[in-house]
Amino acid sequence: MLEHYWSRWRLVLLLVLSLVGAAALFFTSHNQQFYQRPIARVERVQPGAVRRTSDQFQNVDHQHQQRLTVRLLNTAARGQQLTVSNTYSDSQPMDLRYHRGDQLFLSQLKSRHGRLSANVAGYKRDGVIVFLFWLVCLLLLMMMGSAGALALLSVLVNTILFILAIIIDLKNNGEHVMLIFGSLAVIFTVVSLLLILGPTKKMLATAAATIIGTFTALGVSLLVFNWTHERGIYYESMQYVTQIPRPLFLAETLLGSLGAVMDESSDIIATLFELKQLNPAVSRTTLFLSGRSVGKSIMGPLVNVLFLIFMADTFTSSLLYIKNGNSWGYTFAMNMSLGTVQSLVSGIGIVLAVPLVSGFGALLLGRRTLK
Amino acid sequence: MSTITALGLVLLVLMVLVGGKQGWTAFLSLLLNFGFLYFAIVLIAFHVPPLFVTVTTGIIILAVTIFMGEDDLRTTVTAFYASLIVTAVLILLIVLVEHWAMVQGFGTEDSDDLEGMSILIGISYFKVLITVTTLSTLGAIAEAAMAISAGLTEILTTHPEASDRQLLRSGMAIGRQIIGTTLNTLFFGFFGGFLALFIWFAGLHYSLGTIMNNKIFVAEMIEILISFIGVLLTVPTTAWIMTKRRSKVAPR
Repeated sequence: MLEHYWSRWRLVLLLVLSLVGAAALFFTSHNQQFYQRPIARVERVQPGAVRRTSDQFQNVDHQHQQRLTVRLLNTAARGQQLTVSNTYSDSQPMDLRYHRGDQLFLSQLKSRHGRLSANVAGYKRDGVIVFLFWLVCLLLLMMMGSAGALALLSVLVNTILFILAIIIDLKNNGEHVMLIFGSLAVIFTVVSLLLILGPTKKMLATAAATIIGTFTALGVSLLVFNWTHERGIYYESMQYVTQIPRPLFLAETLLGSLGAVMDESSDIIATLFELKQLNPAVSRTTLFLSGRSVGKSIMGPLVNVLFLIFMADTFTSSLLYIKNGNSWGYTFAMNMSLGTVQSLVSGIGIVLAVPLVSGFGALLLGRRTLK
Repeated sequence: MSTITALGLVLLVLMVLVGGKQGWTAFLSLLLNFGFLYFAIVLIAFHVPPLFVTVTTGIIILAVTIFMGEDDLRTTVTAFYASLIVTAVLILLIVLVEHWAMVQGFGTEDSDDLEGMSILIGISYFKVLITVTTLSTLGAIAEAAMAISAGLTEILTTHPEASDRQLLRSGMAIGRQIIGTTLNTLFFGFFGGFLALFIWFAGLHYSLGTIMNNKIFVAEMIEILISFIGVLLTVPTTAWIMTKRRSKVAPR
């Protein structure tokens, strides 16, 4: 089997991917000419003074000075050396400690009497994304073959659609957010499932079930929002908001749960199609019940997948709130309430989808049972 | 009643209606995971070493998600071992990658939220980042491991004579079936949460070069790509564990 596994085309693929990966990594470490901002490489690091800091919450930290001798890698002064100073702390929240060989962005690059001066403006990290993306492609294609290629394609197509929707949203100045991202959700579902399942009856059934499930969940949640007057939802705590937060939050929630509902729907529908194939005379009730039993075993883990994704991102800021003397309750409200609402709404979507998808599949495939 | 309580009650009722006893344990697992996650924050705030917190919380969350998600011990034990191995490998990869990327802490886009805060808290944000990235992938690993393990248990029950090679091949075949939708779940889960940030980038006309080096964006991409890698590694690992545990799953 091993000989079979390492068939010729796999070896060729491995070779090609390794070459592409090496080329991409080489490019990202030598692409400074394509940047407008000045980039320099650290050649020497001289440690400077250390200062102890503490705040009213008894948090103790140390601030370190370092003098960096750097060589410019682009701009007109390419190849010239200069020294810049940098401050970093033990905890490194917004500052960074630089090491020899690091590439960094400079700002305020000025030349006075032939001496260059500049400020440190950030670390160059494009190579990391390229490397990880390459690793994902390598694993996907080597392990999963054509299924991996299709999965990759669907992720790439969805990224492009996502960017297009954001451009449309900005053209509309943030109005009709729900309309734009609601339609996007429908397009996402159809495109992803077309790529994964192909243009089949199964795909149509899964897409219809996903869309019904996701939007019903949002409807139910909006009803709950209405009844409780959105008490305890702090839209003002939403991060990076440049538009009206509420519709944006609902759009985020809708998109966030879409993938999970799609995942579950395709599992249930696939099982129902299989049952139908094994026994064409299968009744609707039987189909519905088997759909439900598939669904109830995957819904728990799926809700946890989304929960961990949504909540992990609130971890760092929650920690900061606690270390700033805030109560546990206030920390939760200001950092985690939106993530919790998002998890719960997605959870409702995932659970509601089980009977909806099973019922839909049963209606589509099952024979009417006469009573 | 606050909206969160009401939504929680709706979820609980729906889960019990749809899943019966299994629905109830699923809801309980969500509550427990929340508790352990919050407890992890508190522990780190009390200066317990973040790596220790990551490993213990990680093991607990995996155990809760897997053992409360499914009753069949043949499936769950295999899935648990496999996800432990994958998580250990991933933590190593995460440390390496985050060390290279240096995306700990906050970005300039966070400045508004940080106003009036003391951010020098004396706890390494780098170590906290390792915790965050690890925790965000755990659910995906557990779910994939359970799917593969359940499928293989089924195969072993109906064909106890299947060879190890056939098992490995079947594991990969199940992996091929789930990979498309699983990657989509992760993609939407992560991208959905960062819609606002992407609108910020596009609205302020960030250049591609700026985005590719932006701290928050890179941190987010690392999380997505690491969980993709986690799921991909889970497939062969689970199949391999199943070949080692086959005598316990389906005695000949």
